Amino acid sequence: MKKFLSVLLLVTLTASMLAACGSSNSDSKTADSTDQGGASKKKVIAWAWDPSFNGAALKIAKELYQKEHPDFDLEVVDMAKADLEQKLNTNLAAGVKEGLPDIILVNDPNIQKYVASYPNTFADFTDKVDFTKFSPYKVDALRVDNKIYGVPFDIGVTGMFYRSDYLEQAGYSAKDLENITWDQYIAIGKKVKEKTGKYMATINPNDEALTSILLQSAGSWYITPENKGNFVNNPAMTETLRVYKAIADSGIAKPVTGWSEFVGSFNAGDVATVVSGVWQVSSIMDAKDQSGKWKVAPIPKLNVQGGVNASNEGGSSWFVLNNSANKDTAIDFLAKTIGGSSEFYERFLKENGGVGSYIPAFSSAAYSEKPEFFGGQAIYRDFTDWSKKVPGISLGMYTQEAKDALKNELPNILQGADLTQSLTNIQSLFEQQVK
Amino acid sequence: MKKITPIMVHTFLILASIISLFPFLWMLMGMTNTSSDILKGKFGFGSMLMDNIHKLQGMTHLGAAFYNSTIIAVVGTIITLFLSSMAGYGFEIYHSKAKSRLFGLLMLSMMMPFAAVMIPLFRMFSNMGLLNTPTAVVLPSITTAFMIFFFLQNTKSFPRELLQAGRVDGLNEWRLFTLIYVPTMKPTYAAAAIITFMNYWNSFLWPLIALQTQDKKTLPLVVSSLASSYNPDYGIIMVAIVVTTLPSVVIFFLLQKQFVQGMLGSVK
Amino acid sequence: MDRKRNKISLNGWQFVAIPSALILLFSFYPMVQSLLLSFQSGKGSVYHYVGIDNYIRLLSDPIFKQAVFNTVLYLVVQVPIMLLIGLVIAQLLNNPKLRFKGFYRTAIFLPCVTSLVSYAVLFKSIFAVDGILNKMLVSIHLIAEPVAWLMDPTWARVVIIAAITWRWTGYNMIFYLSAMQNIDPSIYEAASMDGASKFRQFFGITIPMLKPIILFTAIISTNGTLQLFDEVVNITKGGPGNATMTISQYIYNLSFVYTPNFGYAATVSYAIVIMVAVLALFQLKIGGEKR
Repeated sequence: MKKFLSVLLLVTLTASMLAACGSSNSDSKTADSTDQGGASKKKVIAWAWDPSFNGAALKIAKELYQKEHPDFDLEVVDMAKADLEQKLNTNLAAGVKEGLPDIILVNDPNIQKYVASYPNTFADFTDKVDFTKFSPYKVDALRVDNKIYGVPFDIGVTGMFYRSDYLEQAGYSAKDLENITWDQYIAIGKKVKEKTGKYMATINPNDEALTSILLQSAGSWYITPENKGNFVNNPAMTETLRVYKAIADSGIAKPVTGWSEFVGSFNAGDVATVVSGVWQVSSIMDAKDQSGKWKVAPIPKLNVQGGVNASNEGGSSWFVLNNSANKDTAIDFLAKTIGGSSEFYERFLKENGGVGSYIPAFSSAAYSEKPEFFGGQAIYRDFTDWSKKVPGISLGMYTQEAKDALKNELPNILQGADLTQSLTNIQSLFEQQVK
Repeated sequence: MKKITPIMVHTFLILASIISLFPFLWMLMGMTNTSSDILKGKFGFGSMLMDNIHKLQGMTHLGAAFYNSTIIAVVGTIITLFLSSMAGYGFEIYHSKAKSRLFGLLMLSMMMPFAAVMIPLFRMFSNMGLLNTPTAVVLPSITTAFMIFFFLQNTKSFPRELLQAGRVDGLNEWRLFTLIYVPTMKPTYAAAAIITFMNYWNSFLWPLIALQTQDKKTLPLVVSSLASSYNPDYGIIMVAIVVTTLPSVVIFFLLQKQFVQGMLGSVK
Repeated sequence: MDRKRNKISLNGWQFVAIPSALILLFSFYPMVQSLLLSFQSGKGSVYHYVGIDNYIRLLSDPIFKQAVFNTVLYLVVQVPIMLLIGLVIAQLLNNPKLRFKGFYRTAIFLPCVTSLVSYAVLFKSIFAVDGILNKMLVSIHLIAEPVAWLMDPTWARVVIIAAITWRWTGYNMIFYLSAMQNIDPSIYEAASMDGASKFRQFFGITIPMLKPIILFTAIISTNGTLQLFDEVVNITKGGPGNATMTISQYIYNLSFVYTPNFGYAATVSYAIVIMVAVLALFQLKIGGEKR
């Protein structure tokens, strides 16, 4: 037992030493924040999930706000997105108020779900922010029963990133990629595969990103605004799955099984195009050796009524909790910065590569920058142009349930099962799930 | 009957060791490579180690998290071992019908998925005013049916004659436990300590819910938030993974002699 | 029952009372709450009493059935393999004359010290399409082109089973090794002298002597597999389709990924409790408890 105890002692000592040097190089801030009793001034707490993106955005906002309100203070608590959602649900469902922050980041598809599941929990922003200054589709996502529940933050307006060198080799110029359909895309992809040996795209049946992009580009979604399944008798859905299968069957898509593989495949130069949200820019730019070889075109469109060459992938918004002790401060802070400061959006783009939906910022210098990496193309100006065309949709309450119902049937669809029958199966599975 | 040669034994064990160790080699290599090298499946060491370490230090309060994790795991392990071995001993040595019913009931507690009891548990700790303290992390698993069961099963092979001898010497029941049982069961305690330490060290779901401020976070929470950013840097993540993994490895190294005394005549 | 036995039994309560009380407080109180919740339905913080509706819904829930099927499949295939490998390795390592046994022991135990995130990152990158495993298999001509392991339902399940076995075999081995310390070495010496082969010693001495601990690991592993969650979520997210989804993952989804219905999630949890309890009783019966 003696030996056992000495071991424990040793470990404790090592740990406290490590802790000591850890806190000394983080200017011993940890020690101060332990005694955050009730007396603290206007310290607003926010939960966010990516310290180099949305967490960083809050820090910019804090700096801007502190110019006018020097006694304002903000603490950002970082955690993983899934962790944040789980913690929030647990707190709200348990009805425990202590420990909840003042501000939280909400992924757009979760907006209606939270508002409906936890009534009177989130602050109404309807007349706190001038929403006409934001892209309409982004505001649509925040609207529940004619009230707007948060401040729009980043968007994921999509583009088709492409390797101009590969496409040139296959005989295509930038012009040939403007405003095409998905069938043309597949035809180009086959040519690219033949001439360069490279894949046109990646495909991952465990990820719904592509189907989501296709649906929204035609103004449709997995569920109707009334929260019913939108699988049967929906031309956009039928066409989306037809295109999806065609891409899978054509052999132009490289199979990937996870996010890191997806990023890895274009960083390694294995694929010629990446259809993704604007936030993908930073991952693409990670492959420094590929500078000057990338360009961005609008995404292909679906051949259905209302189909456009623009869509959205991802995006989030800031909510304030009604019960928070600093509710008014938090609302004012968000409204004056993320909800109404062009300067905020310019800095957010310059410092973190984040694109928002705040229209006045689009004409700023930051947004007309022409990065060398993309051959001098004014990519952000293009993205913001496209963002104005993205069809507004209601994301509803049951997006995840509907995606999972689709995922369950997707392997059958890819193996050639009758599409109409499959869609009926998905619809009934979905209805069973949201009972 | 076939004969098992030492060569066969070693081949089998070497194979098992390679399979077991390969991911660790992968993690050590990753620590020295850039994120994109890792994604491309580069097999070999790179030169990014110091870079990755510096970046990680700039991003998180790893030191504080390490400290929190250590306090929770060390204090938690000591108390858990004490309480659980006591119960395992009590249930087996002083066997009675009522006790075995109670034990059966306790076993049920192991079978509930944690996600399902989390909300009531959270409410309870909020009422007790213990949220955001290491105590809140340790308490729900301070005695587990699992560890009681482990001690109980091991006690089955504990030589009871020793207790009789102790009674004859006039020891009371507590002294029998502390002076005879505990020293005899050293291997069991060592195995239990390793397992319990790892459980506390790696526990994730409950600390995530029970701890609330940045300065109270444990290591797995920090690593999890690193791994899920939009553009994760795998080089940095690998460093964090190594830092998280190391202490359990050290504990194992230090304690393994205790529970594998070998068969070289070491008499209990 | 004679008076002496009664007194001994009373003495025992001082050892079991406090630990039992703690478990009752921290496990049973929440479990009862969650039982009550299983008779309610709704979303988030809005609930109403629905009687046994949740239980009826459970019986006709295709995702639940799929999850039960997957979970039972893992249980039937993985647990016996893992326990047997663990036992064999423990037996080999318990040989005092074996060289390098410290190295082997450490190597084989190490996987279970990895935390969930590490484990997931490592396995996903190893089994990736461009991953190191495919590279190696192609280079030794075992396969002609890379296999998309995680996209095929069967392979994805194999990967999950391999991952669990990788992580937990050493863990079980530790229990066996520590229990083997209580076997008197002279028993083996005597058996060897009588000319019993290693196989016979394994089945004739080791397994019967370790019965309590084998039973213990069997129950723990059954329990662990029925609650299997992290491995699947982190490696396959339950896909492709729902081919690798487990019951625990379904509970998690119902609570935290979907529009939260904690009532129905509690119902699914009780389905696990019932299954584990039945299996544990069954194992205890086969395990032939002495009393």
